[in-house]
Amino acid sequence: MRELELYFGPQHLGMVGNFSIKLKVEGDRIIKADANPGFLHRGFEKLMERRTWMQNFPLVCRINVVEPDHMELVYSMGVEKLAGIEVPERGKYIRSICCELARVGSHLFGLWAYSNMLGFDTVAQWAMYHRDLILDLFEELTGARVYHIYIRPGGVRRDFPDGFKEKVIETLHKIGGKVPDYNATFFENSLFKKRAEGIGKLSREEAKSMGAVGHVLKATGMKYDIRKIEPYAVYDQVDFNIPTREGGDAYSRLLTIRDEMIESVHMIFKLIDKMPDKGKVYTKTPNPFKWNIPEGEVYVRCESSRGELGLYMVSDGGDKPYRAHFNTPSYNHGLTVLEKVLVGESVSDVGNIMISLYVVAPEIDR
Amino acid sequence: MEELKKNILSIFNDLEIYIRKDNRMFINTKKETVLSLLSYFKNSGYDHLGLISCNDWIDDSKFELVYILSAYMANDEEFQEKEKRIIIIKTRIPREKAKFITVIDIFENAEPYERELHEMFGIKFEGHPRLTPLFLELKYETPPFRKDFDTEKYVENKFGKIPTIKERKNNQKNERT
Repeated sequence: MRELELYFGPQHLGMVGNFSIKLKVEGDRIIKADANPGFLHRGFEKLMERRTWMQNFPLVCRINVVEPDHMELVYSMGVEKLAGIEVPERGKYIRSICCELARVGSHLFGLWAYSNMLGFDTVAQWAMYHRDLILDLFEELTGARVYHIYIRPGGVRRDFPDGFKEKVIETLHKIGGKVPDYNATFFENSLFKKRAEGIGKLSREEAKSMGAVGHVLKATGMKYDIRKIEPYAVYDQVDFNIPTREGGDAYSRLLTIRDEMIESVHMIFKLIDKMPDKGKVYTKTPNPFKWNIPEGEVYVRCESSRGELGLYMVSDGGDKPYRAHFNTPSYNHGLTVLEKVLVGESVSDVGNIMISLYVVAPEIDR
Repeated sequence: MEELKKNILSIFNDLEIYIRKDNRMFINTKKETVLSLLSYFKNSGYDHLGLISCNDWIDDSKFELVYILSAYMANDEEFQEKEKRIIIIKTRIPREKAKFITVIDIFENAEPYERELHEMFGIKFEGHPRLTPLFLELKYETPPFRKDFDTEKYVENKFGKIPTIKERKNNQKNERT
């Protein structure tokens, strides 16, 4: 049969985000896949070298559009470690709650993308609506819906407003009450199972050799989670499980995402109960125009909703970072794993695999 | 950590090893030992390559390649001391006609990282199967992430200078008179 070259994306119904794949197909089968990123490259790491430590903090959240909080967190952690700043206890709790809310929001966004792609429009609308409720919470807390610019070096920007805890609990109950409906219409639906089972299958050894992290690895049965391995914020003070599955395919990945979402909601309830009632939420940092951080280098990591997120940062003793390099989970998933997994699959499953790997284009390009 | 340090020093020489309190081990090494060091760590269980990065030390006219390794879990249930550790291997190569050897044979996911460093810093990785552009559309004389690439100057040359408010007011005045 004749080989054809097929350009999949960035303008394609099955594609989420500004990303494209060059496919070589024979009939319906894919022989070779060539990931083609770069549509959103803005050179953030170079931009950071020209800005002061504080000016960078509204910049880094723009690296990931779907959940900016973890980007802010990892940058703040890096600066705190370099400068030797301690975060107050209440600030740490607020950080954790914020990150877990972001995780739920981000997973709902992923669920929207996946169900929309499969044609489950109702589920997609629900997920988008519920994500909007979480964005409403963020709007009240930070003043912004998408880019919160909230977790700053030293703590968080401001305390919870009056009655915010109750609103969080109310919203999460509202979302949690819908879980049986999600299960009935989507997760336990035989259509979803038939469409997703065995698609984009990865064994654990393959996943390890390709450097997979996050839910891709959890779907193969490994409990690899930075929140447990190297606890940051207050994850060492709260009890939670890491959901895993054994299948390693798109079906297992989606179920892992659902379980992780439920686990996060439970965790937020626990965190709100445990949170100290009063206290400072940030440590005062020096004048941002005259803030020089001592020479040194640091590698910090946290668990974003896609997996291990790292930041390597070097300071030469000046008021700007000498070099910053983000290790984003989508980078591995989008460039290494996706290219390998797509080979041998059918063209109609490209979107299915890509969205189940949860690739976010701005995170790859940076 | 101390034990690991002893083990490494018994096999390799010419290493500078620092251990930090937060379970980070920094290793400075010569460029010849990097490959054998990486495969040693992979065989002893540090099988996750997190990142390959590069620092441009323009004053010393050297590039510093940084390999960051950590460990996947050996068993499913318990977390061991090993997973908390991060090994950071650093080596310096000359900045002029920079080249290094690829590590794809050891770590499969090194491919896009090396491709990116080739594009952004101009480091040639020998043995790499495709050093084609990854992100950039245009070609640049100086690779854009090098320290001597001045973004401000580039924008000025490419798109022209935007006048300040003062200059604009003066221009308007001159036009009127």
